[in-house]
Amino acid sequence: MAGSDLPWRPPRPCDYYWSEFRHCKSLRNRFHHYYVYGTFPSCEQWKEDYHMCREWEKIQSTHCKESLQQSERNRVAEQRNFTPVWELRQTPPADWHSPLNQGKPQDS
Amino acid sequence: MDQSKQQEEDYGYNLFPERKTGKYKKGSIAESLFTFNHKCQVMLHLAIETSPYAKLLLGAMKNSGCALHKDRHFSCEDCDGTVSGGFDATTSQIVLCQNNIHQQSHMNRVVTHELIHAFDHCRAHVDWFNNFRHLACSEIRAANLSGDCSFSNELSRFNFGIKQHHQECVRGRALRSILAVRKISREEAEKVVDEVFDSCFNDHAPFGRIPHSKKDAKFAYRDFENRDRYSANL
Repeated sequence: MAGSDLPWRPPRPCDYYWSEFRHCKSLRNRFHHYYVYGTFPSCEQWKEDYHMCREWEKIQSTHCKESLQQSERNRVAEQRNFTPVWELRQTPPADWHSPLNQGKPQDS
Repeated sequence: MDQSKQQEEDYGYNLFPERKTGKYKKGSIAESLFTFNHKCQVMLHLAIETSPYAKLLLGAMKNSGCALHKDRHFSCEDCDGTVSGGFDATTSQIVLCQNNIHQQSHMNRVVTHELIHAFDHCRAHVDWFNNFRHLACSEIRAANLSGDCSFSNELSRFNFGIKQHHQECVRGRALRSILAVRKISREEAEKVVDEVFDSCFNDHAPFGRIPHSKKDAKFAYRDFENRDRYSANL
């Protein structure tokens, strides 16, 4: 998206989509999802993305590309769906690499 | 000939100068302390090298300009009571309680938990000492993402629950952590946790998911390694 000279390719290798689908459908994952959210996960999008990815490999259609991009953008949006409690830094803390001076550790 | 040979060969004892002098009597308290420190160092090293949770956090922090060095940013020490570890924001150090961590799986979890605090310190302006919301948020995230509240860990604490129990556990552990380190009433602490819970529970950085198992963490690490390709083709 941002100034890459390389031709477009799916954001993940196709087998990543398949392994995510299989992992999503597994009994363990279904249990964990219920344990956290009280519902069962929906896994079909991974399968859909896998098929789009494979088709892209065959025919490079715009439809496949847009479908995959939209799916991944939705995933990113889902991960950002909260209002942060704190302000993000532009640079790391200035004293991160400062040498220790035998200060007593406090708890956190 | 024999004498000189013996002097050359010191069986690696030069790596442990305090052992050479025989300072610590076998079975003495002093020797126990030394032994826990060494054990802690070994377990820490294993955690950093093999835990996908730790590897992802270390990689993400390096990416953000906060590369961690074992000698500078980790410290194995004796601690009071039953606390397992802490993050000291004033020295940017993760403290590991060598007297309270005796299993590798526990070490892996504590390292992950404290790395999450360190990660938050690195990427955000977290006011650890004056802002309870910030403290609560980081504790919620650490309990959520480190495996602290996994089903098996909760079972081992005799906390039985299934449907949405994870969230209950995260709330409870965040509350405990806050009460342990700050002079604040339980009611106030509960209020702060409630205020920030929805936001912080849904902040899964840098994992991109709640890693319930090593497999989840490996997938998350895989995504982290793929991040350049991912963002370039979004």
